[in-house]
Amino acid sequence: MTQDKKITKTQELIYSLRVKDVMSTDIVTVSPSNTMNELKEILRIRRISGTPVVEGKQLVGIVGIDDLIRCLSNGEMDATVGEKMSKKVETLCADEPLANAVNKFEQYGFGRFPVIERNHGRLIGILTKGDVVKGLLTRLEIAYHTEEFRYNNSINPVFDNIAMDKTNFHFQYRVDSRDFNVAGESINKLKKILSQIGFPPQIIRRVTIAAYEAEMNMIIYSYGGHISVSADQQHIILEACDAGPGIPDIEQAMRQGFSTAPVWVQELGFGAGMGLPNINKCADTMELKSEAGKGTHIKAVFNTTNGDGV
Amino acid sequence: MNLEFIVRKLELSVRCGEDKLGREVRGGYVGDLLSDVIGNSNEGDIWITRQAHQNIVAVASLKDHAGIILVNSSEPDSDTLDKAIKEEIPIMVSELPGFEVVGEIYKLMHT
Amino acid sequence: MKKKGGNVTLSEVKEILDATVFVGEEKLDMEVKTAFSADLMSDVLAFAKEHSLLLTGLTNPQVVRTSDMLDIAAIILVRGKTPPEETIRLAKELNIPLLSTRYILFETSGRLHARGIVGCIEKVPLGEMT
Repeated sequence: MTQDKKITKTQELIYSLRVKDVMSTDIVTVSPSNTMNELKEILRIRRISGTPVVEGKQLVGIVGIDDLIRCLSNGEMDATVGEKMSKKVETLCADEPLANAVNKFEQYGFGRFPVIERNHGRLIGILTKGDVVKGLLTRLEIAYHTEEFRYNNSINPVFDNIAMDKTNFHFQYRVDSRDFNVAGESINKLKKILSQIGFPPQIIRRVTIAAYEAEMNMIIYSYGGHISVSADQQHIILEACDAGPGIPDIEQAMRQGFSTAPVWVQELGFGAGMGLPNINKCADTMELKSEAGKGTHIKAVFNTTNGDGV
Repeated sequence: MNLEFIVRKLELSVRCGEDKLGREVRGGYVGDLLSDVIGNSNEGDIWITRQAHQNIVAVASLKDHAGIILVNSSEPDSDTLDKAIKEEIPIMVSELPGFEVVGEIYKLMHT
Repeated sequence: MKKKGGNVTLSEVKEILDATVFVGEEKLDMEVKTAFSADLMSDVLAFAKEHSLLLTGLTNPQVVRTSDMLDIAAIILVRGKTPPEETIRLAKELNIPLLSTRYILFETSGRLHARGIVGCIEKVPLGEMT
């Protein structure tokens, strides 16, 4: 994978959003025949610093506070907007990406751009820097909420999720090395889910025991890893993968009563050398791959079609 | 009540210390946590556990237990046996779970 | 003491063991037939059966978690252990009765056995553990 610069959500948004998505459509306009005095009143009342000039529905110019100040000092307040406006108007098209607008703001140093419909050149909105910022913030907030929702669901599955059934569910959680306090917590949840989905109690019992032993092993011996449980038509599949250090002698580790657990672990009631044999006993088939210096991968499969098993 | 009586009544398999079965049993202690057993068991107790590693011999010797009964068919390691023979601690094995072994011994003690 | 044969209620268990109820006062009329005594959770996981009493000297929250997984009827802590807050909280949350007795595990097991409670498994055949 190439390590390109990570595209931020904001960058993504200014390319995917269009001008029309964030522009204001509540536009104040003046006509070329309005006097500068009238313009002054409009700007004052609406608290704006400039407006497009429209004749019929066509955009013919733009006039702003700079023009007004010049007229004030020259005593030309009775002149018409048409005489004093800028006729060369920079516009944006409604369907342009927001990125273009941002570039244009930088390039011209203007505070606003009239937005026109590309086909007929009619004025349909106005875009200020404020509109851009507000638009981005709104979208970012929505994106953030969605992200947060997704994250919460991944670590805390919704139990009454109707999408889950016997052949379509996936439960995964992370296990941290030496973290005894939360040990078993996720498995208590897993048990609830499996029973809500409707698996027979004996199957659930075997899966949860195996998952718990796998988790305990990971907590006691490994650098941490993750455990996942999923199902297909005929099986529940439990997988436990850790990041090492791996088991030097698998045959020995599979023997009941063999344990390398330190005393403090045994005093907690674990590490009696029952873990792997217990997983093996619970599962219909079990595969154990491990390499010293690397990690351990356990795959335990439970048949769900042939009754209660053990 | 001596060890030999318990061995016979509970049909225990003796793994070592046959010549020590005459020893009097004064009480019983069940536990799998060595620190608990060291802290709370008494001299002359028959110790019932499922731990089979060699440290149990050291504990039984330290506390002067009458003997050790391993439950759930838990078999002593060869290191454990070597040590038990040296320390003259009888080790017996039962197929029964701890609860049943204790229940039977308790009954023998109270009748 | 005679074997009564049949079930014993949690309420009777409380009386037999002179126990303190930390969680599950409202479930004392529950009936139990079997028990498992152990200090090793791995043993509990390997051998304990559903609806049994779990007699143990361990008081950490893992005892409750393990019990929930195995549908243990109630947990009896021995040697007068007061469970940590977290253990009590979890037992409440998972709705598992939690009692504590001053008797040692030997006496606890003996007393319940004398009242007709039996081991939740009959035996582990010799040789299976090696």
